[in-house]
Amino acid sequence: MSDISSHRERGSLLVADARTKRRNAAEARFRAYGMIAIGVAMAALVTLLVSIFGNGSSAFRQTFVTVPIALPAETLDPSGSRDPAEMAKVTTIGYGNVLKAGVVAAVREAGVAPEGIADNDISGILSQEAPAQLRSMVLANPELIGTTVETRLLAHGRIDGFFKGRVTMQSAERDSNVTPERLQLATAMRDAGMMSSGFNWGFVTMPDASDQRPEAAGLGVAILGSLYMMAVVLCLSVPIGVAASIYLEEFAPKNRWTDVIEVNISNLAAVPSIVFGILGLAMFINFAHLPQSAPIVGGLVLTLMTVPTIIISTRAALKAVPPSIRDAALGIGASRMQTVFHHVLPLAMPGILTGTIIGLAQALGETAPLLLIGMVAFVRDYPGGLFDPSSALPVQVYNWTQRSDPAFVERASGAIIVLLVFLICMNAIAIILRRRFERRW
Amino acid sequence: MNDMRIAERDVSTSETKIAARGVQVHYGTSHALKDVDVDILNGNVTAFIGPSGCGKSTFLRCLNRMNDTIAAAKVSGSIKLDGEDIYDPKVDPVQLRAKVGMVFQKPNPFPKSIYDNVAYGPKIHGLTRSKAELDNVVETSLKKAALWNEVKDRLHAPGTGLSGGQQQRLCIARAVATSPEVLLMDEPCSALDPIATAQVEELIDELRGQFAVVIVTHSMQQAARVSQKTAFFHLGNLVEFGETGQIFTNPRDPRTESYISGRIG
Repeated sequence: MSDISSHRERGSLLVADARTKRRNAAEARFRAYGMIAIGVAMAALVTLLVSIFGNGSSAFRQTFVTVPIALPAETLDPSGSRDPAEMAKVTTIGYGNVLKAGVVAAVREAGVAPEGIADNDISGILSQEAPAQLRSMVLANPELIGTTVETRLLAHGRIDGFFKGRVTMQSAERDSNVTPERLQLATAMRDAGMMSSGFNWGFVTMPDASDQRPEAAGLGVAILGSLYMMAVVLCLSVPIGVAASIYLEEFAPKNRWTDVIEVNISNLAAVPSIVFGILGLAMFINFAHLPQSAPIVGGLVLTLMTVPTIIISTRAALKAVPPSIRDAALGIGASRMQTVFHHVLPLAMPGILTGTIIGLAQALGETAPLLLIGMVAFVRDYPGGLFDPSSALPVQVYNWTQRSDPAFVERASGAIIVLLVFLICMNAIAIILRRRFERRW
Repeated sequence: MNDMRIAERDVSTSETKIAARGVQVHYGTSHALKDVDVDILNGNVTAFIGPSGCGKSTFLRCLNRMNDTIAAAKVSGSIKLDGEDIYDPKVDPVQLRAKVGMVFQKPNPFPKSIYDNVAYGPKIHGLTRSKAELDNVVETSLKKAALWNEVKDRLHAPGTGLSGGQQQRLCIARAVATSPEVLLMDEPCSALDPIATAQVEELIDELRGQFAVVIVTHSMQQAARVSQKTAFFHLGNLVEFGETGQIFTNPRDPRTESYISGRIG
């Protein structure tokens, strides 16, 4: 002992020796690295959120034109029966003419039209979707025919872009879709109160729209499709995943076979998602002949992807339950199954729920496998069930980023915001459930 | 207080409850228990002593087939409870464990209320028909475990919120509630302070009136205080088995003497 202490210098406690200084410096450096790492991560997050919200928040506001439109009975209901089935024979072209006459008359009457503007330029401020809007409004309420109705219609995407700063007078001169006169008219109409912007409910309720009408594109079909798929994933992957992990962890003998299964489950969790897409295409569509683009197929493919994640996290949660609890239950004569279901599972619940919801959130944001099973198709009809064609949120984002009109950039960012809101909601549910089930032992 | 005080010995009226003959246990390739013959008598406390790793806990866990949960453990020989071989393929270990209760080294109450901890056994074995009957079982079990007075006002508080000694008595109450015929205790006092230990020891002495008690302990003083019969294990062998008084005052085997006098262990 004495020879060890003799190596140490007898310095004052008030002065740090060289070794202590080096150790303290190392610790200070390590703390600095940690802080830099967190700083980089936070900066990345802030950049991401700022860019997405900066680009996407305008998708939730839309410019609308409010004008009185006369609905003449002779063009819209030639038979005079007021029967929607009969009236449906009049197409959007017929309504387009009515609309054009109405908006031109209203603009000229209000005196906001610039000198010498053509009728086509006046009606050009309306979205190409506007006739369809008017048609469905009239078909839903045939009593309107023969009257003049104050109608709120979507403005053209370029006009909307003008108010959002995307379109300028200079760019309009080179643009075949809009003219500077139309922009002047739009400014005048806004000053006269005939054009206004408001919250865009259509963005979350309406279906996708074609390249020509970004102002009408919405996420309705994609949200519905994603919800259907999540329902399928939830109903299949949770029971399969939890049952498999309980069996493997609590009942299965530990031998070569269970080792092989364990390794394979871990490998399955690391398989690239596009491979599951190919598998789904071969298995569910080509072999089982399920319909393409259907949420049922998407849900099945995402289930295949989610089950390994759920199994891994559930097994970790079961392993974390102290063995003394199992001993206690077995020791007073509970069966294996009673032990698991009365004692082990409730204690593992927070971990299982967290893993499950993280797996579901992953599935919600998954794009690649859905592309292969046809969910990338352009779908305008709301899916009525699991077997109807549909879109999905992440695929819709992918889809819109492919379009040429810059208005779709705003839509894509807006769709990302909706997706993020869904993910935050799911994580919040995970936290709430974990708090509620958390118990100490 | 004389720690080596020897408990009252009244081993006269006892009949054999468990008869173990030629019990061998292998954990994989290691031979953990070699040829053990022990008779556990009704109305007695039997203590297993010996140094760590000598096989005493292994043997205890054979008596209610808790070793079944360890895949590598192989038990041979015969262990008869009231003349019936408990390792017979027809025996369901779940039914056996209802008859042979167990208290573990570390207090392990369920993370549930005190009431639910005690009521769990009777519930799963269907021992009671009504809520009142169950209340009654819980009360008598807690009274038997000398815990009733401390917890009667907070039966629905979590069992994990009790002190260590109270938790261990709760575990005893839980084991008692299924009215077992044998109670196995694996170092029940090793995690407890001296006062809690004294309470549990007192309890063990009271409990032996109703069932055969088997206790594994590291403390020779404890074995001397609570037991009527003592078995000394060493390196997987049963070295000596006899009346506690004789083992502690007049051991026949030199190894027992060395252990008791503190030379091995």
